Amino acid sequence: MTVLVVSFLLVFVPYFIPWGPLDWLSGKLMTIAAVTNAFTIVIAVYSQFRRSGRFIREKRKGWAYHIYLLVLLAIMTLSGFILGQHAGAYEWLLLAVVTPLSSVIYGILAFYMASAGARAFRARSPQAALLLVAGFIVLLYQAPLTGAFFPGIEGAATYITNTFGMSVSRMFSISVSIGAIVLGVRMLTGREVAFLGFTEGEE
Amino acid sequence: MNEFLQFAAVVVGIFISFAMYTTLYGKPNPLRDWAEFSYLGAATGVSIVISLTYIYNTAILGIQAGDWILIFSIIFGLMMLFRMHPDYSHVSRLPLAFTVGTGLALSLRTQIFTSFIIQINATIVKLWTGVPLEFLYRLTIAISVITILTFFLYTMELSGPLLWTSKVGEYLMYIGFGGIFAQTFMGRLGLFVGYMESVTTPSWKVPYTLASAVICFIAAIIFDRTGLGQKLSAA
Amino acid sequence: MAKEGGIYRLMATYDKRWVYVVLFIVVLGPLINPIGMPIGISALTKNYYAQLNTLQEGDIVFDTWNMEFSGYMELKPGVLATHKMFIEKGVKLCIAFGHYEGVALPGEIFKQLQTWLDRYDYREGEDYIIIGYVFPNEAAVAALAQDFHANVRVDWKGNSIEGTFLDDIQNAGDFDMISDYTTGLATTYMINHMVLQYGVPMVENSIGVSVPGHLANLDAGLLTALLASTRGGAELEYLIGSPGPGLKSMDAFTLGHYSLMIFIIVGNIGHYGWTRRTGAKDRTGIK
Repeated sequence: MTVLVVSFLLVFVPYFIPWGPLDWLSGKLMTIAAVTNAFTIVIAVYSQFRRSGRFIREKRKGWAYHIYLLVLLAIMTLSGFILGQHAGAYEWLLLAVVTPLSSVIYGILAFYMASAGARAFRARSPQAALLLVAGFIVLLYQAPLTGAFFPGIEGAATYITNTFGMSVSRMFSISVSIGAIVLGVRMLTGREVAFLGFTEGEE
Repeated sequence: MNEFLQFAAVVVGIFISFAMYTTLYGKPNPLRDWAEFSYLGAATGVSIVISLTYIYNTAILGIQAGDWILIFSIIFGLMMLFRMHPDYSHVSRLPLAFTVGTGLALSLRTQIFTSFIIQINATIVKLWTGVPLEFLYRLTIAISVITILTFFLYTMELSGPLLWTSKVGEYLMYIGFGGIFAQTFMGRLGLFVGYMESVTTPSWKVPYTLASAVICFIAAIIFDRTGLGQKLSAA
Repeated sequence: MAKEGGIYRLMATYDKRWVYVVLFIVVLGPLINPIGMPIGISALTKNYYAQLNTLQEGDIVFDTWNMEFSGYMELKPGVLATHKMFIEKGVKLCIAFGHYEGVALPGEIFKQLQTWLDRYDYREGEDYIIIGYVFPNEAAVAALAQDFHANVRVDWKGNSIEGTFLDDIQNAGDFDMISDYTTGLATTYMINHMVLQYGVPMVENSIGVSVPGHLANLDAGLLTALLASTRGGAELEYLIGSPGPGLKSMDAFTLGHYSLMIFIIVGNIGHYGWTRRTGAKDRTGIK
C-alpha cells in the first residue's frame, strides 16, 4: 500500500505543482512503469504455453492444432529476433497470416451486426420504434447515394448523431470517469486490495 | 522480399482469410481452426518481438546512454514475472503496486478534466448565440445530457419531476442509441468493405479472391455434410 | 397446399446465413464492377480538410497510427488522403504506432503513396521518421509527452534519431499538430497527456464505432477536427481530387447499408405477420 500511495503522489503532485526535480522524477517513474508493464507479455505467453502444453500432454481434441500454434509462435519469435523484423519468415508471416486475419476477425462483425439487425431488431415498444426510426435516418444518410438525391437527410441525421448520440456518449464518459475516480480512491485508501492478490482481511 | 514471395504472401493471405470467413457457415470445420490457430501463433509471436524490442529501445538503450534510474524498470519487470510462480508470486506485488499507483495518478490527474469537467462545461453553455440552428443543437444537448443522467440515478427513488425527466431521458437515449447503432454498423461495414477492396485491387487479385471464396465455401459444406468437420476441428 | 403463414413465415424464419451471402454479394459485386454512385460531402470532412490546410511547409506533425491492420482497412481512404496532403505541403512527419501490428503498415501505406513520394521527393529520415511501437500503455504515452528524447532514441529500424528534424522536439508541445488514426487504443491517453497538458491541436480519423465518443471530444474542444470512417475518407479523397480506395468502396458501402435496412424491414414484417400472430418464438439459431 505504501508503494502504491507514494508512486501515486510522485506522479500526481508534479502535474499541479511544477518543480524541476520532481518533474524529472515523475517522468522517469512513468518510463519505468511503461517498461515494467511491457514485461507482462511474458506472462501472457507463459499462460499460452501452459494451456497448449496441457492439451498436447493429455491429447485432448485439437491437440495437433496446439503443436502447430507453438511451432508458429517459435518461428515468428526466433525469426523476428535473429533475421530481423523487416526480412525473412517474420515479414512473410506478418503479411500472409497476421494482417489478413486481423482484418477478417473484426470484419466478420459486420455480418453479425447485419444478422442481429435482421433477427432481433423489432419495433415491439415505443422505445424500440424510436431506436429503429433514428437508426434508419442515420443509415440512410450514411449511404452516400441517399444524400446525393435527398440533401435534407444530412440535416436530420447530423442532428440525431451530433445531439442525441453525442449526449449518450458524453453521459457515459461522465459516469465512467466518476466510477474510475471512486475506484481509484478506494484503491488508495486500501479498500480495494484484490488487484494485489490479497483476499479480504489479509494484507 | 522477392516478388514471388510477395505474391505468395498475398495469395496465402487471401485464402487464409476466406478460411476464417467459413466461421459464418456456423458449423465447426478444420479450415477455420487452421486459420484461428495460425493467427494466435503468429500474432503472439509478433507481440513478443515488438514488446521486447520496446523494452530494449527504451530501457536498455536508456541505461547505456547514462539513464541509470531505468535499471529499476528491468528489476521491476523481472519481479513481475514471479506472478507465474505459485510459491513466490508475492514478489510481484511490489511492481504491481508501483505500476497501479503510477497508472492511477496518470488517469486521475487528467481524466477528471477531459471526461468530467470539460464535458460538463461543453454541455452547460450559453444557449442563444444568434444562430437558431445552433440554439436548437445546444438546447437539445443540454436537455439530453441532463435527462439521460437522471435516468441512471439508481441510488434514490425517482418520483415527481425526477421521474418525468428520467422518462424523457430514456426516450432520448433510445434515439441516441439508434444513431450510435447506425454509426457502429458503418464502422463494421467499413472494416469488411475495406478488406474486400484490398483483395480486389489491383484486379489481378480478383480470380484468387473468387476462387478462395468458392473453394472455402464448398469445403465448409463438404465438411459439414460428411461429418469430417466435427471430427477434424479443434472444438 | 401452401404452408401456413406463407410469405410472412418465410420472412420470419429464413436461415440467417442468407444475410451473410447477400452481404458478400452486394459488397464484392460493386468492387469488381464499380457502378459510380454520387457522393455528398459532410461538414465534418470539410472542417478536417480546412484544419489540414492550416499546416505550413516544415511544420512537424506527430502522426500516430493507433490502429490494428483491421482498423487500417476501414481508415485506409482517410489515411492515404491525409498523407497525400502532408506530402504535398512538405510537412515533416514523426510516425508512431499504437499497436504491434503497426509494423506491417508502413510498407502497405507507403507502397500506395509511392507516386506522391517520388513526385515531391519525400524521403524517410529527412521528411518522415518512423519511431515504431512506442505506446504500449498510458505510462508510455505520458512519459513520451513529457520528455520525447528520453523515451525515443532510435527509429523502428534501430537508427539513431539524432541530427534529424526531431531534435527540435523536447516534449509533445513542440509538435505543430497531432494527426491520429484510431480504433481506440492510445487516443484517449494522447488527449489526456498531450492535448490537455500541452494544448497541441489534434485531428482525428476514427472508425465508425468510436465516432460518437469523439464527437463529444470535438464538441468539447479537445479535438479540432474529425474524419469519420470510410465515408469521411472517401469525401476527403474527393476534396483533394485524388480518387482512391474510399470512393471505389462507396458503391459497396451504399448497397451494404440499404441491404441492412431491407433485412430489418423484412424481419419486422415477418415478426408482425407471423411470429407475433401465431405466438411462435423468434428463432435466432441455425437449423
